Amino acid sequence: MKKPKKERIRALVVKIVFVILMLSLWEFVAVSEMFGSSSKLIFPTLEDIAAAFIKNFTKGYAGNSMWIYIGNSLLLLLEGLAIGILLSFILSGLSIISRTVYAIYDLLVSVFDLLPGVALLPVVIIIFGIKPGVIVFLVVHAVIWPMSRNILDGFKAVPAIYIEAGLNIGLRKASLLLGVYLPASVSYIVSGLKVAWARAWRGLISAEMIFGVASVPGIGLFINQMRTNMKNAEMYATLIVIIIIGLLVQYGILDPIEKNTVRKWGMSR
Amino acid sequence: MSTVLKIQDLTKIYTDQAVKQTVLENVNLEIDEREFLCVLGPSGCGKTTLLRCIAGFEEYSGKILVDGEERKTPGTDRIMVFQDFNQLFPWKTVEKNIQYPFVIKGIRNKAELHEISSEALKKVKLEKYAKYYPFQLSGGMKQRVAIAKALALKPKIILMDEPFAALDAMTRRDLQNELLKIADEESSTFIFITHNIQEAIILGKRIIVLTKGGEAVCDKRNTMERPVTPASEGYGALWQELRDALYIHP
Repeated sequence: MKKPKKERIRALVVKIVFVILMLSLWEFVAVSEMFGSSSKLIFPTLEDIAAAFIKNFTKGYAGNSMWIYIGNSLLLLLEGLAIGILLSFILSGLSIISRTVYAIYDLLVSVFDLLPGVALLPVVIIIFGIKPGVIVFLVVHAVIWPMSRNILDGFKAVPAIYIEAGLNIGLRKASLLLGVYLPASVSYIVSGLKVAWARAWRGLISAEMIFGVASVPGIGLFINQMRTNMKNAEMYATLIVIIIIGLLVQYGILDPIEKNTVRKWGMSR
Repeated sequence: MSTVLKIQDLTKIYTDQAVKQTVLENVNLEIDEREFLCVLGPSGCGKTTLLRCIAGFEEYSGKILVDGEERKTPGTDRIMVFQDFNQLFPWKTVEKNIQYPFVIKGIRNKAELHEISSEALKKVKLEKYAKYYPFQLSGGMKQRVAIAKALALKPKIILMDEPFAALDAMTRRDLQNELLKIADEESSTFIFITHNIQEAIILGKRIIVLTKGGEAVCDKRNTMERPVTPASEGYGALWQELRDALYIHP
């Protein structure tokens, strides 16, 4: 059900006031230099961060503007997301059709969902070496398990009446999967997408920070370069870029998906 | 009239429970074409299980024949209307819910699909709600759509498992009247499960009372002139007979 307009405006005002308060607090700490000589390094002023933000995009670092770093990161991310999401749908779908596949895949999901991608990094580097494919591998790892867990849980939660109604009108195995299981699990799938996206984004930045591939420099590598060169304002400006991209995906892609599916169908508030 | 449904030695034992439970034991039943059969019986006597076996949702021993051919799995010749209001797919509009079985069958022509759903919705007086999603409808309207969906498929048999049980008295009465009209016009056979003796007398041309194990302890033809009301001649006697059958064989 749609929230009343008044309530939505109120929530928006609360958020804006909160952000302004936080920024004011930051500026106060930065200007007052309350942390002594290192204060400017820890808390650059908002003006410095804003200037660095613009500089990142206009001049960048080592001849590469921020757009190149963003482009590289997003390309690797999209590749990993696409592979991870596709695999999770195929494998979870097969799990519904075959009980044997379900037993094995459920075990795999339970085991690998607990393994942080960064912990796998040494093993992956030994096997594949340092190249962009390793980052894609880590993104796939970040996506496939939470996504699969949500899809499997969604399939298990499909009300028996939908399955029987589907069987009654002639749906079987694959057609039942596509015609009933998938649409009935959309709320779980959307929730899985949110978790998968967040994990993938974090995994990507972590991997790039730990071993940025110079041939394909990404945002994580940029932050690390700024840290190494003590360019803290640029570092914070890059964090803002990461947050902006995250919000764009959340409000520009994930929220519309939710709005046009489960909320439109009355399956979620 | 020819026999459309023949049930031979039907036995259903639930084995997935701690104790094996025999719900139906050697049930034999024949139902004629275009018959409106109402099934009465106490809770746990196997009414719903019988319907689910006919629909193909349960495994069983014995035989279920539709037009002489054995049926073991669900099919569009036997469409079930469930008691649960939430039997429509929430992700499809009312008209898409009705059209979907035809899309599965390979019909892609939009005009043809529209005609099918419009005609079905007209029968249940819900033409104006074609573009609505199920969550925007009341319980009674959802059941009407479920009936329209079943009618659109023109099945041999429509199986109805207490479809009006959770409705208020007025809506229930309206739907009973609509169903009577529809049943007269359609060529399908109806098997209607109910706990309500009055509902069975109003709707059923034949009424059976089941007892434990699915044994039919009463099998009556209802020849009363329609519409049947409590004031109809013979109503009281039939009501008493069915009540006695229900309570003597609990």
